[in-house]
Amino acid sequence: MKRTLPIVLLMLILAVPTVFAGGNKEAASTEKAIRIAEQVPGLITPGVWDGQAFSMNSSIYEYLIEINTETGALDPILATSWKTDDGSTWEFALRKNVKFHDGSDFTAADVKYTIERTQDPSIGHLKKQDFAVVQSIETPDPHTVIIHLSEPRPTFIYQLTDYNMCILSSDYNYASLGESKPMGTGPFVMQQLIPKESASLARNTNYWAPNLPKVDKLLIYFVADIDASISMLESDRVDVVPFVTPVIKNRLDKVEGIKVISPYQEQRFVAMVTDMKPFDDNRVRLALKYSMDPQIIAKSVAQMDLNDGVYYNETPIMNMLAEYKELPLRGRNVAKAKSLLAEAGYPNGVTVELYYASDHPFGKELAQTIQELAAPAGFDIELKGYTRDIYLSQYWLNVPFSITGWGGRIDPSMLLALAFKSGGAWNESHLSNPAVDALINKISAEADAEKRTGYYHELQELFYEEGSLLNVQVPYLVAINEKIVDYKQPLTMLPQYKYTDIK
Amino acid sequence: MNRTASIIIRRLGSLLATLVIMSFIIFMLVEIMPGDVAQMILGQSATEEAVTALREARGLNDPVLQRYGRWIAGVVVGDLGDSVYMQGVAINSILWRRVGHSMVLALTAFLMFVPLSIFFGVLAGVKEKKPTDSIVSFFGLATMALPEFVSGVILISVFAVQLNWFPIVSVIPIGESLFQNLNIVVLPALSITMVMFGYISRMQRSSMIQVMNSDYVRAAILKGMPRKYVIFRHALKNALLPTITIIGMNMGWLFGGLVVVETLFGFPGMGSLLMTAIKTRDVPLIEACVLLITVIYSLSTMVTDIMYSYLNPRIRFQGGQR
Repeated sequence: MKRTLPIVLLMLILAVPTVFAGGNKEAASTEKAIRIAEQVPGLITPGVWDGQAFSMNSSIYEYLIEINTETGALDPILATSWKTDDGSTWEFALRKNVKFHDGSDFTAADVKYTIERTQDPSIGHLKKQDFAVVQSIETPDPHTVIIHLSEPRPTFIYQLTDYNMCILSSDYNYASLGESKPMGTGPFVMQQLIPKESASLARNTNYWAPNLPKVDKLLIYFVADIDASISMLESDRVDVVPFVTPVIKNRLDKVEGIKVISPYQEQRFVAMVTDMKPFDDNRVRLALKYSMDPQIIAKSVAQMDLNDGVYYNETPIMNMLAEYKELPLRGRNVAKAKSLLAEAGYPNGVTVELYYASDHPFGKELAQTIQELAAPAGFDIELKGYTRDIYLSQYWLNVPFSITGWGGRIDPSMLLALAFKSGGAWNESHLSNPAVDALINKISAEADAEKRTGYYHELQELFYEEGSLLNVQVPYLVAINEKIVDYKQPLTMLPQYKYTDIK
Repeated sequence: MNRTASIIIRRLGSLLATLVIMSFIIFMLVEIMPGDVAQMILGQSATEEAVTALREARGLNDPVLQRYGRWIAGVVVGDLGDSVYMQGVAINSILWRRVGHSMVLALTAFLMFVPLSIFFGVLAGVKEKKPTDSIVSFFGLATMALPEFVSGVILISVFAVQLNWFPIVSVIPIGESLFQNLNIVVLPALSITMVMFGYISRMQRSSMIQVMNSDYVRAAILKGMPRKYVIFRHALKNALLPTITIIGMNMGWLFGGLVVVETLFGFPGMGSLLMTAIKTRDVPLIEACVLLITVIYSLSTMVTDIMYSYLNPRIRFQGGQR
């Protein structure tokens, strides 16, 4: 007995793994399910939704209109048609026979509620400023909404594509249920939400569009670590992983069955703050611009060529947009940069701290490249990288030099007022330039498209000469299993999973 | 027996005092963390009035002691509050599910490493300075030197990538429970076993050697008792004491401190929840997790002390007289 005891113990230990073993089990099911690994979301209630958990929210909620990923045009969703006079009155015809997930009907009152909610002071709505222009909303019948603005806004309609402007039910208590039981009219219904862990969404059987969505379920895992997400993708535990970095892309390019796609371009604004030393002097800003080499930036940040995946300019307008004006690249000129710095009173160079989100794709790479390129011109740049949440909550908007990720906007004027107008909520370079303000006002009020483009060009020239930013455009990368077809995600960042299918 | 009872009561009293002090320290530490909770919840572009309204609604303007009192009063009746990010979702509903997962992982690891390390520790101690001893000691040192994020990666590449016996990531498929997916526990548990094996087997070995060289064991051998009888009946019982202390002291870590292992494997336990809470700066959730880990640490230390005094009469009697 005494001799056998240790042997029995040893066998028991060796047996433990075999009891648990069994490799990768696959749930036997005929249901079509797309499995997604996403970041752990912060706030998800529309209005204060911080821009994570795009897969989940964009499948539960819907908008009046959405961007067609093929044509770039506006597709009717909850609105079937719309018209405006000079941009100050907007009339929308709403889709009939649409139901919210709780069974209530979608009507004009819900649209009115959604827009009026932006001005509720207790919410802290992220679109408060943009919708402050709304003077009154009429609902002559359940399927018509007329919005009166206090001044003409010819591109007002694009504001309705913002991810925080999904249509909410006027009868639902989003203040207490928005985080735990999100509810909209979207193609998928929340089935189970395990906080910080996962969400299970099922097809909305009452969905208004015939034959959509194409799959039965969306299974979303919230994974804090991008490497763990990639491991799940490689071991066929998930099908889609958004927000991958170029380093991961290079590795995944060699993996069979997985592809990395880039649905749209994102921006990285390198902001030089105009009311803090040393960038309060335009000559210092110009010196930095002259020390840059866009081709080297493209290569070292994303291992891509300039104008082939990575784009660069010195204005807030993305190269891919119609409003973009092609201005000559400066060309790297270290001697000129040095003399500009000397003129500005820094003959022995200048020391400055560059703040950025170290865990945001391309952030660290871009910061290091700028540091290297600017050094010969006399910029001694100290890198200050923090995780994205800490960077955004504690440093961004308060530091002299920073790199921040900005999603594109289909209508660039949405971004101009927010980030470059005096008093804009996210005016990170503290720009307060009457000429810029005047042009932004003209752009938002001009009904004539040609004239508006003219103002955009003027604005870009102004930025080229005395602007406060470098705009590096990088691809937003999503890793997907090759069996997933029709993955669509326009510039609004909202994936359209209703069209996505499994081969 | 009365003495043991008085030791237990005294221990419980000091445990309570420890928890009260610790809860205050935890609350204060989180309090001095930079950043404003209301601002964090509402984001960068929130208006001043919205931030003020939220601060008022959540009672964030009250004095620190009052807020601490409110929090601790909630904790006493089992209400840990709401998560910052999940309005209307009680922390209780997030936390206990994770605690359950962590317990399964801890138990599996415990069943693996305790018998394994004690067995090989005894073997090495009995065969001191022989090849068996060298081999066991070498493996003990080697696994001890490897941090869990290294041994974890090695385990993943061997058992998950090459052999495909276990999943790479220990995630529970949506709609299933941990008990339907027990195979996800094995690799994290093995990783913990590798960390613990070195400590415990070496401790067991040295105390075994010490006991084997003591007079009473030598006397037992000299009077002709069978060697196995001497080892298991006389030596092992005494040689186990230091090992039990080490195991007991690690129980807290095992149940609540597996942050690295759980994050590496993506295992949905307490450790990874704490990590997520810290990353998203979910203050109430951080407080709840850290407090629970403190409770587990204190309890396991107390249980170890009681067990130790039960196994070692010298401690029991001394402790009782003091």
